[in-house]
Amino acid sequence: MTGSCNDTSKANALHLDDFSVKQKAGQQSVPKYYGEALLAAAIANKSILALTADLTAPTETDLVRDQLPDQFIMAGIAEANMVGVGAGLARAGFIPFVHSFSVFLSRRSFDQIAMQVAYPKTNVKLVGFMPGIDSLLGVSHQAIDDIALMRALPNMTVLEPASPADYEDAVVAALAHDGPVYLRLYRATKQELRPDNDPPLKIGIARNLHEGTDAAIFATGLMVEQALLAAKNLKQQGINAAVIDCASIKPLDINGILKVIKHSKIILTAENHTVLGGLGSAIAEVMAGSNIARPFFRIGVQDCFAEGGSRDFLFKKYGLTADAITAKIKQAITS
Amino acid sequence: MKAGNRTNISQLQAMAKTIRMDVIRMVARHGQGYIQQGLGAADLFTQLYFQELRFDSDNPNWQDRDRFILSTAHNTAVFYSTLARAGLIDLEMLEDYCLDGSALEINASERLTPLVECTCGSLGQGLSVAAGLAMGAKLQKRNSNIYLMLGDGELEEGQVWEAAMFAATHKLSNLIMIIDLNYMQVEGDARDVAAIDPVDSKLENFGWQTMVIDGHDFDAIFAGFEAAKAETERPSCIIAQTIPGKGVPFLEGQKSHNMVLPSQVAVDALDWLGNRP
Repeated sequence: MTGSCNDTSKANALHLDDFSVKQKAGQQSVPKYYGEALLAAAIANKSILALTADLTAPTETDLVRDQLPDQFIMAGIAEANMVGVGAGLARAGFIPFVHSFSVFLSRRSFDQIAMQVAYPKTNVKLVGFMPGIDSLLGVSHQAIDDIALMRALPNMTVLEPASPADYEDAVVAALAHDGPVYLRLYRATKQELRPDNDPPLKIGIARNLHEGTDAAIFATGLMVEQALLAAKNLKQQGINAAVIDCASIKPLDINGILKVIKHSKIILTAENHTVLGGLGSAIAEVMAGSNIARPFFRIGVQDCFAEGGSRDFLFKKYGLTADAITAKIKQAITS
Repeated sequence: MKAGNRTNISQLQAMAKTIRMDVIRMVARHGQGYIQQGLGAADLFTQLYFQELRFDSDNPNWQDRDRFILSTAHNTAVFYSTLARAGLIDLEMLEDYCLDGSALEINASERLTPLVECTCGSLGQGLSVAAGLAMGAKLQKRNSNIYLMLGDGELEEGQVWEAAMFAATHKLSNLIMIIDLNYMQVEGDARDVAAIDPVDSKLENFGWQTMVIDGHDFDAIFAGFEAAKAETERPSCIIAQTIPGKGVPFLEGQKSHNMVLPSQVAVDALDWLGNRP
């Protein structure tokens, strides 16, 4: 914002470090899939405001800051206040997109989100980056419980797209929904393309990405790629596993999910999150609520804190891999 | 009510007395409640709703209305009475105060939207929402002012200071915070709980215009609001010194967050208010 609210010339003069994704030398620049989607939406709709808490580039809001400074608000390192300000702006008729790392947005501002966003259904979009254990910065920066927290709030929609290629659809879906949405995103490190035959991400719809009835893998976010790899491995071994992208964690596509479960022998969930309260719990609730019993396994962070490290290292150490999914399903089938 | 001519002070005093009597009746039915802070803030509420705030009682959703947020959302006896006396809710509704099923809950909630502009009660949140509304009004070039009432104990919440910095950074001069300074919180004297003083210089250093006034002096409250509205660069804070139980001599100064009000005390208090000038 210009003039009385924000001095963007000052902001631009600062060296703003995009520290959450390091580009390798010689690497082709990676699009900011979310930032570009938000920018396009904000160009079309002047009611959209982007708020960030000292994490502009890491939340890809630098695109809005630089091109639409009147629609950008730097809230400082004060997430609780930022959520309250966002709610006030929403009550004035704006559509605030409130950004930080998932862990700070959810844990530090939970009460503010409950009382100023979820309860009054203010049209605030909460956008958290650096999901789950995917962080070099360690436990302080790892959102292992944000899905559980956000899912527990009445009126909250929770979306975790599988791929940055889905972010544009996620922004469109969040905007089309008049009310609170929590978007759980990660930064792209490579060019992403959505397969032409995949249906677009929609609120309340689960997407079947791979067919199979020996097992069904319900996955979200970064674990969708691992689930698809596992399904490929399993297929080579004669096991047909369905893969369902549950980007819409809340509301869940209960009918779609039940249809798959009824035709599957083994159910497995995969999430970059604690196994308590997240997607695995949500799927278990659907099964139990419909009186369906199947062998059931949850891949995810096993009720522990992690540590800082690379994605590959941490996902392997904490069992968030295609190999772990493959092994679990094979073990279940042979036991 | 539209801002404009000064309301006669004797009329304001009479209204404040009526509101104090409502507060006593509303709390007396339950034998206990937020009576001391209600009596203490009655003059501030009277000045706000019978002089200061621009609203349209026929159209409470009027977009250009001034907004008032009660961050100490439990101080509802005085708030609801004021709303009723200002014609914004039916007077009969006061009879249901805090009864099961009533929208007049002990903590003001969204159920009374838009009169309750946001649900507070989880202390520390009101100023942030007020700052968002103030920023929104500025962006939309509306003349609305955003008023907010905080208790002094609430200053112990860190979020208040996050929001105070934000409001100063963004020059939200249309934001007017009233601190009901009675040094009373659940655990006793607020100064014994946390070093909240000096409130004025703290906020001044955070970039606010501040003024300390007698929260029972209508001239002083009026002057405070005028100074706040004249400020073009900074948010303003009116630190209103109030006396818990104000208006009833045998209740004045008694610090109790949720005071027991025996029926005879209520009768005596009503008698005193009703029979004294």
